[in-house]
Amino acid sequence: MSRRFFTWVADTLLPPLASFAILVLLWQGAVVIFDLKPFLLPSPLQVAAAVQAHFGSLVHATLLTAVGALCGFLFSFAAGFLISLLFSQSRLVSRSLYPYAIFLQTVPIVAIAPLIILWIGHGFVGVVAVSFIIALFPIIANTTAGLTRVEANLLDLFSMCNASRWEVLRRLRVPSAVPSMLTGARISSGLSVIGAIVGEFFAGYGTEDFGLGYLIILTNGQAKTDYLFACILFCTILGLTIFSSVNLMSNLLLARWGGAEDG
Amino acid sequence: MKTLTLVLTFLFALAGCGERPAQHSGVRLALNWFPEAEHGGFYAAQVHGYYQQQGVQVEILAGGPDAPVIQRVATGAVEFGVTNADDVLNARAQQAPVVALLAPYQINPRCIMVHAGTGITQIDQLRDLTMGLSQRPAFSHYLRKKFPLTGVEIVPYPGNVTQFLMDPRFAQQAYVFSEPFIARKQGADPRVLMVSDTGFNPYASVLIATQQTIAQRPEVVAAVVRACAAGWEHYLREPGPTDQHIHGLNPEMDLDILAYGAEQSKPLVLAAGQPLGHMTLERWQTLVQQMAEAELIEAGKVKAEDAFTTRFLP
Repeated sequence: MSRRFFTWVADTLLPPLASFAILVLLWQGAVVIFDLKPFLLPSPLQVAAAVQAHFGSLVHATLLTAVGALCGFLFSFAAGFLISLLFSQSRLVSRSLYPYAIFLQTVPIVAIAPLIILWIGHGFVGVVAVSFIIALFPIIANTTAGLTRVEANLLDLFSMCNASRWEVLRRLRVPSAVPSMLTGARISSGLSVIGAIVGEFFAGYGTEDFGLGYLIILTNGQAKTDYLFACILFCTILGLTIFSSVNLMSNLLLARWGGAEDG
Repeated sequence: MKTLTLVLTFLFALAGCGERPAQHSGVRLALNWFPEAEHGGFYAAQVHGYYQQQGVQVEILAGGPDAPVIQRVATGAVEFGVTNADDVLNARAQQAPVVALLAPYQINPRCIMVHAGTGITQIDQLRDLTMGLSQRPAFSHYLRKKFPLTGVEIVPYPGNVTQFLMDPRFAQQAYVFSEPFIARKQGADPRVLMVSDTGFNPYASVLIATQQTIAQRPEVVAAVVRACAAGWEHYLREPGPTDQHIHGLNPEMDLDILAYGAEQSKPLVLAAGQPLGHMTLERWQTLVQQMAEAELIEAGKVKAEDAFTTRFLP
């Protein structure tokens, strides 16, 4: 047990930590050797100091952004699943609407976010809306693919047993779509964080509260590069946390499902 | 190893940025926004040949949202830039060695625009509104610190006047000669509340250069400052040709709004009864103090006397 644990640490944990340490050392060295000023590139120590100085604000902002991103993600998952069900049931519907689902993927969110805010309003709802729109398409695309690409043999089997359309959907299509649905969820989980941050650029949370998007605009606008790096660090941690949680959950689910397809 | 080499290359490249000299025999001037009335004098100096008269060749580079003017000046990518006094202090707090040389706007054109129907006539009366306010500029932090703003919901600056037109309880930050003009044209009845009336009044459209440029090429700096001052003087007197030029560069800006901008700029530029572009230590000190109060810079970290010089002013 303990030996396996040590091997795991040496194999999995050590390489990324070592490369991180080397990168930080090189970074600090470069800043010192080339005498780079903080407005151009703050040193890791300065970033660490900024994290320490603004820790409360950073954690608060990260939590707020996390809630916005999670809501956007959950809504996109639910809505994406329902839309995919619809697409899988009718060729006509899927042919007429799928191109517009792609539109969601290709539309420059930064360009339409101000409009969304104008229609939906400022604050939390606006942030969730932008996050939702950005996270929706991967769910639709992957779930629809999963629902429609069912093994022909199994479909034949179901029709031989006189299974109703509903039974085919419930007992065959949805179960076999789970792996691709989770692939979509993993992609969307990362995107939902980006969506929430972009949403915050335009929607904000009102007078007193602020998320990471606000802090990024603020620190960038005032050339506080060390604080900006700290914000980016927290964005990354947030994205990683959400992504790994979804990844972990999907691995557990797929394991229960019997044999992970792409976990 | 490959990654390491890449990282090293990147860092070297980054370090190199700081030392790259300007390639042109002339100099470059980077603006902080798209060409507009607030840059009128800098363009007028070009249109009416004042740069040439002073023996310098100046290329004006238009900016936009998030244009990193100060960073480009500080790294030497361009010799001159246009920014606002509060940003000069922000930059100096991050050890960017930029210095203000000429301050056309003695009164900052920044205002809060409200519907006249609200009956609000002063900033301290702002209450029960939705207010579009950018988080970047120092004034928004100062206002939030200084005034109660009871019942005011602050939302990000929308970038246009659409929401203002739709909602009679919407207020927003504005440049006095820009958004109010557009809102009025669209049928609204806006009232402007000058931020400068609260005592927070950073010099605007300030010409900057680095300490190095000033030390190494003082004659070029002097020539550019003199030409810009002459350009501003000319622009206020006869904006027409310059407005035509700006309209050509930025067709979004119609000639009527540019003419309005030039007219409105007159009292803001010529306010002090002092020579055009003049700056005082007292006002820089006040700004340092106000920004420290608003927790934007650390008190004592930035010295007002290092942030500007008047030695090149005509």
